[in-house]
Amino acid sequence: MVSRLRTGFVWVTALIIFGFLFYEARRASVSLESAEVITGWCLLCLMVFLALFNIRKKLSMLPIGKAETWLLFHTAGGVLVTAVYWLHVGNLWPLGLYEQLLALLIYATVLTGVFGYVIQRTYPKRLTQTGVEVIYERIPREVSELRDQVEDLVLECTEKTESETLGRHYVDTLAWYFRRPRFFSHHVFGSQHGRQWLRQQDAAVRRYLSDDEKVYLDQLIELAEYKNGLDTHYVYQGVMKGWLLIHVPLTVALLVTSVWHILLVHIYAL
Amino acid sequence: MVVALESAPQRWDSPFDPDLTDEEVSGLLNTSAFLTVDRDLFPAHTPFEGILKNDTRIVNFHAGDIVVREGDYGNSAFIVLEGSLRVFVGNEGPEGLLGRQSINKRGVFSALSQLFSNSHIPEVRDTRNYGTQNLREGRQDSDAARVFVQDIPAVLDEFRTAILEEGAVFGELAALGRIPRTATIFSETDSVLLEIRWQGLRELRKYNEEFRRQIDTRYRENALKVHLRETPLFTGLEDDVLEQLVSATLFETYGAFDWHISYQKMRSSGRSGPEHEVPIASEGEYADGLLLIRAGFARVSVNYGKSNRTVAYLGAGQHYGLRALYDSWKSSTDVALGSSLTALGYVDVLRVPAPILEEHVFPNISGRPPTFVSLDDRSVSDDSLLEWSVDERFINGTQAMLIDLNRCVRCDDCVRACASTHGGNPRFVRHGKTFDHWMVANACMHCADPVCMIGCPTGAIHRSQVGGMVIINDDTCIGCGTCANSCPYNNIRLVDVRSRDGSLVLNPNTQLPIQKATKCDLCATNPGGPACVRACPHGALSRVDFQPETLAEDSP
Repeated sequence: MVSRLRTGFVWVTALIIFGFLFYEARRASVSLESAEVITGWCLLCLMVFLALFNIRKKLSMLPIGKAETWLLFHTAGGVLVTAVYWLHVGNLWPLGLYEQLLALLIYATVLTGVFGYVIQRTYPKRLTQTGVEVIYERIPREVSELRDQVEDLVLECTEKTESETLGRHYVDTLAWYFRRPRFFSHHVFGSQHGRQWLRQQDAAVRRYLSDDEKVYLDQLIELAEYKNGLDTHYVYQGVMKGWLLIHVPLTVALLVTSVWHILLVHIYAL
Repeated sequence: MVVALESAPQRWDSPFDPDLTDEEVSGLLNTSAFLTVDRDLFPAHTPFEGILKNDTRIVNFHAGDIVVREGDYGNSAFIVLEGSLRVFVGNEGPEGLLGRQSINKRGVFSALSQLFSNSHIPEVRDTRNYGTQNLREGRQDSDAARVFVQDIPAVLDEFRTAILEEGAVFGELAALGRIPRTATIFSETDSVLLEIRWQGLRELRKYNEEFRRQIDTRYRENALKVHLRETPLFTGLEDDVLEQLVSATLFETYGAFDWHISYQKMRSSGRSGPEHEVPIASEGEYADGLLLIRAGFARVSVNYGKSNRTVAYLGAGQHYGLRALYDSWKSSTDVALGSSLTALGYVDVLRVPAPILEEHVFPNISGRPPTFVSLDDRSVSDDSLLEWSVDERFINGTQAMLIDLNRCVRCDDCVRACASTHGGNPRFVRHGKTFDHWMVANACMHCADPVCMIGCPTGAIHRSQVGGMVIINDDTCIGCGTCANSCPYNNIRLVDVRSRDGSLVLNPNTQLPIQKATKCDLCATNPGGPACVRACPHGALSRVDFQPETLAEDSP
């Protein structure tokens, strides 16, 4: 775990860098120099540095520092980039069309970064609370095996109790639930709708069942609860993996458009 | 469903060699090694002939065959019946004979080159390095496969060796003390050896005075003094006092050597916990000596409710009973032990008698020895992680992969980092037993008691000289699976190896795929230590030592 001291050091360093840039920009402005050149190049350097975090992940074989430390710099750097961007453009939203595209990309990249930061600090705890631990890629197989297990249970119930009540209820409602991960949007926001839906299905059919059938229903609900845990993992792990598929391409697009922006500026404006 | 057996399982239900005949046993009784043994001293339930029949086997070695290898762990001793053997003196021996891997740390550029050299085909190997050892007989059978010295005269000329002839006993200290073999021994001529498994050794030592004296003398001469000297409690003692201590100390072993097998069975039948473990000392009894743990692990527990509550666990070098002994000496009344000590698997214990402590040690102790952490300030919940780690035997791990699930975002960066440093093949599974928000992943824990190393026929799995990690030499592994079957934590995997074009590499004799044992090697050849730890962006993954020093500092 990165120590508080190191965390504090990184944030203070980011603050000092911003203070220095702010001072330099003011000084350049007063001296009728182009402050945007200083802040612009600093901004590019910062963005390249942030993008290097992804490269570092590919270079795990090299002793180039812990990824945890890199993430700390990445987070502080992300905040610094936002501040330096505002310093660079002088307002929150620029006027030119191309500049607006750049602003859109930088805001989208930062916002996806913030989103990633938040979910990475909230989802793991929620996953632990499910009491289930499963590897993401194995979830479809787990669901499939669970479905087979449940169907065997329902068939056994029908054969042993000579009653179709639970079987019909399964076919009518629960089969839908066991077919694949469900309640995606509810899980994303931490809602317990899946569990509540299960309770409802349990209560709906229980009154029509004999004591023997209720034993099977209890087992079925237990498996359904486990499935709810799998669904939670499917959604949370999927989101935690998926947000990078937006954040990283946005970063690449931002870097490319920024380089083009610099070329244009140096060719036509300076 | 409950199945009733006709009789309870007995120790001799599975003889060491089921094919050993009564005639061969009679022949053994007449060998010089056993002529002087007084059979009347053995009890009716464990007759001497029974030990020979069930706990021994006759093994034939060809000239040049390696019998034991320095650094290996073994669970049996040997008696030379015919022929002569040679032991390498002073850690010498031909290079490559041990089947070990010399760890050469990669440079930065070499490490970086893995980025391009790693194959997308799983388990690709350069098979040119295979077959560097001279291997005799079957390649898939750990019992049959033997590494041998090819040119014995040249080896004898080049290296210093000592001879072992008929009647010589070797390997008993390693087998009884759960310590690595200290020398490499090979058969100089065709030889016949009697191999005695540890259970039989223990019985022989128990009932045969001569055998016990022989083993104890060797241990006292070779290791005990050093061991006691290294024990903090005795570091300040004069040499003559230490000699007295050495001669008075008793050796005891508890639990089963193959605890990993019985432990798995116990777990699957739901019989785990202190009440199912072999007792060493019981709460309420009076201590007659200080118990020093020499090898293995023991659980300290107290009666709590209807069960026992774990207070701490002790590993090699720690001791038990000091507080009760000191209080007895100080108050001149018998003070009972405040806790019980049970064997977690195989435990090798040294018992230092109380009188010698009272005479030479206690007068030099300033203040009452500390006790284990008081239960008054710890709830059952506080101790649940300790109970779990002991029950699961994770205390054996020195580099267990512990993942904080409250931090882990399941990104698998650790798995990818592992693969990137191992030719594209991850050497662990990010899955394992969980407790609260902790997971011990299926990665080699580099155990204090590496049961996986027992029985490797080629010495491929070994403890590295530098760093002490348990590693497998891929070139000399024959894929027999002995290590994978022994690992109680399922952290070793057998894989089918492939050539660079992706086709399976086949054994030319059997036409079956060649397998290799694989596991975490702590990135032994890579710069910067375990890549998995460095790769975790959230600091969720760490390699931890489950040794007990953080849990208990002294005895009750």
